[in-house]
Amino acid sequence: MKSTHLRLARLGLATLVVAGLAACATGPTSAPSVAAAPAAAPAAAAPPAWQQGRSAAMASSTLAPLPGKLTVTAAADIPVDRILVPAGFKVELWASGIPGGRAMVRAPNGNVYVGTRALGRVYEVADRNGQRTSRVVVDKLNQPSGVEFRNGSLYVMAIDKFLRFDGIETNPNAAPVDMTAAFNLPKEQHHNWKYIRFGPDGKLYVPFGAPCNICELPTQEYAQIRRYDPDGRNMEVIARGVRNTVGFDWHPQTKEMWFSDHGRDWLGDNTPHDELNRMTRTGLNYGFPYCHENGVVDPDVKKANACEGVTRPAQLMGQHSAVMGVLFYTGDMFPPSYKNGMFVVRKGSWNSHVKVGFDVQFVRLGADGNPAGMQTFMSGFHSPGTDSFFGRPAYAMQMPDGSMLVSDEQLGAIYRISYQR
Amino acid sequence: MIAAVSPRVSHVRRAAIWLGAMGVACSVWGQGNLPPKLAQQVQLCQACHGEGTRAPIPGAPWLAAQPRLFLENRLVLIREGLSPVDSMKGLLDAFKDDELTALAAFFSGLPAPASASPRDNAKAERGKFITDRALCSSCHLPSQAGREQMPRLATQREDYLLTTMRNMLAGKAAGRDTLMTNALGGMKDGDLQDIAHHLATMAP
Repeated sequence: MKSTHLRLARLGLATLVVAGLAACATGPTSAPSVAAAPAAAPAAAAPPAWQQGRSAAMASSTLAPLPGKLTVTAAADIPVDRILVPAGFKVELWASGIPGGRAMVRAPNGNVYVGTRALGRVYEVADRNGQRTSRVVVDKLNQPSGVEFRNGSLYVMAIDKFLRFDGIETNPNAAPVDMTAAFNLPKEQHHNWKYIRFGPDGKLYVPFGAPCNICELPTQEYAQIRRYDPDGRNMEVIARGVRNTVGFDWHPQTKEMWFSDHGRDWLGDNTPHDELNRMTRTGLNYGFPYCHENGVVDPDVKKANACEGVTRPAQLMGQHSAVMGVLFYTGDMFPPSYKNGMFVVRKGSWNSHVKVGFDVQFVRLGADGNPAGMQTFMSGFHSPGTDSFFGRPAYAMQMPDGSMLVSDEQLGAIYRISYQR
Repeated sequence: MIAAVSPRVSHVRRAAIWLGAMGVACSVWGQGNLPPKLAQQVQLCQACHGEGTRAPIPGAPWLAAQPRLFLENRLVLIREGLSPVDSMKGLLDAFKDDELTALAAFFSGLPAPASASPRDNAKAERGKFITDRALCSSCHLPSQAGREQMPRLATQREDYLLTTMRNMLAGKAAGRDTLMTNALGGMKDGDLQDIAHHLATMAP
């Protein structure tokens, strides 16, 4: 925090600047025109990977990523009453004042750690006697979106750094152990912000996104999911062709990994869908960059038999919907029909003229273990009538009592959803 | 310099001395009836960024008519040390989120500056060609007036545009600008110079 004397020094500077000033002209500077012959057209630079595959029709589109918010939103300005959940469920504001908060992990003592992207912070939300307070555990990191907690240690993974805070439950000021070197993080940053989890096998699972919208990979260490021993040893690539997954969980009985994946941009409003994938075994190829969702052959990055050998999604999740967190529900608070089904969070589309997502979906599994239906569970963040939105849900996490927390990255808030029998 | 002074305070002191040495004198401009504290904060900004149409410090960008959210994001990222600006180090530490939002709203509401650079037609034409080809207007709009989190580029200071693009291309821009690193990928420094000149000298 800033000391008072420094603030006074600042104001003193401002006063000095103003007090010592005489008026000066503020009129616009006129730009003398330079008469020069237009040059010949320059040699064409290669188009950046970001815009590959943008058709002539798309070239004039002004679709752009939706703006995030890096400042605190006061609790009073969060319209919880506009959030919709099925009958019997209740939504309340659980925590606020944590701008950009997204993936969450809970320590045994009840503290919840929350990662961010642009703001570079990891928050600790303490839950004591029904009141939540928050503090910044670490900041100034390059998109520290990956958070995990295991055996008393908080793990934080940014694009270019991996930190472990041992014993943070008893020592709030624990200095981090820098684990970066052992994990060999590649240099490209785009789509390389992280979601990390320890799996049922005790390995750390880490995605490495494709560093482009659509491209041949610059090197082979991208568009894949890896797992490591907790110390970084014994790295294995367990899936390829994964464009950008930022959410996964394991089926509570089969222990199979399920993961979300963002589809590419600029193929139009209707294609491709984002994906929910089932990993029945390691070593599978999920198609990027040649084949998307259910056999959509990429028109820009081509190869023969583009979809041959590609594992298709278990569930299509909506075009450009920005599918994020995946959570198998194992609690006893919600009705039995929710048990061992999946909550899948959709932050909401930008690369479509019709907004898709801005909600939490529930995916029920059938007897064969594959999805047997998807329904909207939590919504109301987007208003179709005005095509406006106030919040963007990002991740879901189950609490010990069976209630569920959902983070809202737009408003820097966490909601609690409970069910009253 | 007094050794006991903390680095941050000494920075402010250096800035004050330097401003004094400059002898630059400009009236406070465009403030209307601002609350006193905000007015003082605005004056602090204007000392270096100028008065909406003039920026006395080389490399300092125009703030006028920038989208409010772009300014707010920049102010937050500079305060957080995620997008370090040497000349602003520590200056925003004491500002709360809502104060940064108010500053952003103030400067966003000022009229757009006119171009400060004389236009070299050949250079500007090359820049326009690359700008069109790179689809800059997709996000920044065909007028390059920017919107929401995406800055106004038209008539921005040329030195600032060039430095910013160089940093982005080199992957030095923190926050969510990985997309800009990607968008500028493969460009040569001459391309960036041409783009900066075109944008800086656009008709307002």
